[in-house]
Amino acid sequence: MAEHSVTGRAAAVISEPDQGAATARGAASAGGRRASRTTRARRRAGRAYLPWLFLAPALAFFGVFRFWPTVWGMYLSLFHVRPYLGNQWVGFGNFTRAFSDPDLRSAVLHTLVDAAATVVGSAFAGFCLALLLEGPARHLRVLRTAAFLPVVVSMVAVAELWNSLLFPGRYGAANSLLGAFGLGPMPFLGSPHSALATVIGVQIWKAAPYDMLIFVAGLAGIDAQLYEAAAIDGARPFQRLRMITLPALRPITTIVITLGLIRGLRVFTEIYVLTNGGPAGSTQTVVPYDYLQATTDNDVGYAAAISTMLLLATVVLTLLVRWWRARGDED
Amino acid sequence: MDSLRRGGFRLAAGALAVCSLTIGTLSGCGSSSPSNPNANATGPLTVWVRGSGDSPKAYQKVFAAFTAKTGVKVTQFMTLTDFETKLSAAASAHKLPDVVIDDAAQLGSFQTQGIIQQIDPASIAGSDQIVPAAWNAAKDATGVTYAVPFSAQANVLLVRKDWLDRLHLSPPATWSDVESVAKAFTTQDPDGDGKADTYGIDVPGTTSRGYISWWWSSLLWQAGGDYVKSDGHGKYTATLDSPAAITAAREFETLACTDKVIQPGMLNDDTTAANKAFETGVAGMYLTGPYAYATMDATAVRGKYAVVAPPQGPASAQTLAEGTDMYLMAGAKSKEAEQLLSFMISQQAQTMGMTAVPSATIVRIPIDGNVDAAAQHKGDQRWALAEQVFKAQGHYEYDSMPNWTALRQETSNEINAMIANCSDPAAAMSVLNTRFQTLLRQQGVAG
Repeated sequence: MAEHSVTGRAAAVISEPDQGAATARGAASAGGRRASRTTRARRRAGRAYLPWLFLAPALAFFGVFRFWPTVWGMYLSLFHVRPYLGNQWVGFGNFTRAFSDPDLRSAVLHTLVDAAATVVGSAFAGFCLALLLEGPARHLRVLRTAAFLPVVVSMVAVAELWNSLLFPGRYGAANSLLGAFGLGPMPFLGSPHSALATVIGVQIWKAAPYDMLIFVAGLAGIDAQLYEAAAIDGARPFQRLRMITLPALRPITTIVITLGLIRGLRVFTEIYVLTNGGPAGSTQTVVPYDYLQATTDNDVGYAAAISTMLLLATVVLTLLVRWWRARGDED
Repeated sequence: MDSLRRGGFRLAAGALAVCSLTIGTLSGCGSSSPSNPNANATGPLTVWVRGSGDSPKAYQKVFAAFTAKTGVKVTQFMTLTDFETKLSAAASAHKLPDVVIDDAAQLGSFQTQGIIQQIDPASIAGSDQIVPAAWNAAKDATGVTYAVPFSAQANVLLVRKDWLDRLHLSPPATWSDVESVAKAFTTQDPDGDGKADTYGIDVPGTTSRGYISWWWSSLLWQAGGDYVKSDGHGKYTATLDSPAAITAAREFETLACTDKVIQPGMLNDDTTAANKAFETGVAGMYLTGPYAYATMDATAVRGKYAVVAPPQGPASAQTLAEGTDMYLMAGAKSKEAEQLLSFMISQQAQTMGMTAVPSATIVRIPIDGNVDAAAQHKGDQRWALAEQVFKAQGHYEYDSMPNWTALRQETSNEINAMIANCSDPAAAMSVLNTRFQTLLRQQGVAG
């Protein structure tokens, strides 16, 4: 660590070039030539800046369009925002209000249920699809592509499609099908008792193929010799799945869950287009609620406070998943 | 451990990037700098209009006529999506347009934000010709004029004429007529296809933009109820738990939960979905604005429906009226802007607004009492009815409240929940009344 103080701040930020350079420097200082040391230090500093130079356009872009608005949003969460008349400082007033807002509380609950069910549901469906469709054969590739289609279709189109299919009358497409088995008609999105479950179903349908793709990549990475050895030892398919496939997919599962959680917590389009939070607020989640505060209720400060809390929650959850995974790796 | 920390940072940064989009979109309109209107004193007038479709063409023609008459050029910006959000962004940058043409329902919100100027009707030539009802939608809670009306409308009832004929029924004129016709449409197969796939009433029942409250308000007034009671000095008391308001809620609940005569899925339907339900023969009665004529006539339902006055309720036959207002923005080039407003209410502009582009009637009911809507629409009597309904039965919402959209949203949430759970109307209205009163207090207008 002491080397950082000598090599300067730039090198401290990027650790790998720093380590390489430190080794080189060790050899140089053995010769005790001060001038050469300065040149090397300069070159080293140059090398340290190089990656930043290449990253600069992307960083500038993210800085202007992502990070600065984030910081600005956090700042605004401390105000009652009035664009023309000037903002009024309210301190943590918006946050205090958020903690006592029953509608936000129910939106948080719906978001958690939705995120958990969607993450688990789509990971499970994606895993099953991956097991079925993994392999180099051409027909599998065609099937994989077909199964992947829901991911590339725009969510608005998907929502419109499902809205028509799930028309709650007896003559809706899904209800006609159920009618053939003597069931229904189901209200689907039309009733507060079934709307959230229906929305979750549509989200799983859309997200599962994405998870499938990640699992397929994970499955392809498992050493086939392990399966052969297990088969020779007399392991049945289910045992091979439990003892080899699942443990080997652990890192991949972490990625799937992390991505799913982030996706789940900030769910917007699905809700906005399918139900707009209704009926009776039964599918209202945090981001659409947040949007409503900023647009309909004209309260940008409060909306920014909710966004800030959502950001913190996402960061904490993400770190928790990382910690869980790191702990698993140590085991 | 080090790698975990670094990885954690990276992931956290990733999460930050993911979430920042949400915050970013919401924070675009903030500024802490004090008010300092500093409009461009020269150059063309900048006019922003909320609208889409063919409306830009219609406005262009009207503005071109204004330029030809006065020599003042007009730069037009028009959008439907997030119009008010864009306006907020312009406000925070202190680059407001000179004139904004938007729903009358925005008046209170604009006034509270301090982005519009008070209007002296005397400085607008021809303003004495505007019908009084339209002027009411241009005043704030204390009665001060903050806009000039451009167009008005009131909801009428669209009924499937062919369905009525097949079942030997007459168009409904009262609440009980509506109920019996709705039951017949739902149970007696009015389209004759042998399937029970039709419904009586078409309702845009989503909470989005407050649609369900927007639809239900006609019932409220017909029952003799109202959202609030004014003390005449800009203070209001919520009256949504009055017996009349409960009657209106009970009527809706009966139609939806007991009679089951409203199209399924209505609790999530916005006007686009509700239009589709009427166009495709799912539902047979639709209370909506006269702008729907053009929409419906472009579909298969053309010629198959009749337009009648809204039904008589226990107290009246009032119906929701709405308006489009012209706002003079803070720091506007006042002289030229006032010239434009004067021109927009002239008979020439009002007539052009109705007919210049047939697919975009930017003027629905002219606000000038001397212009005849039906005559302009080649004697189409549906427009005569719309005009008559507006003048005799039109009832505006409380657009002048500091934030009517928030109040309308609250009403929508509660009514939507009441219908979704088929819960007791009296209890639902009591809850709504309390929440409404709380919002009135927050907006500083509670009596």
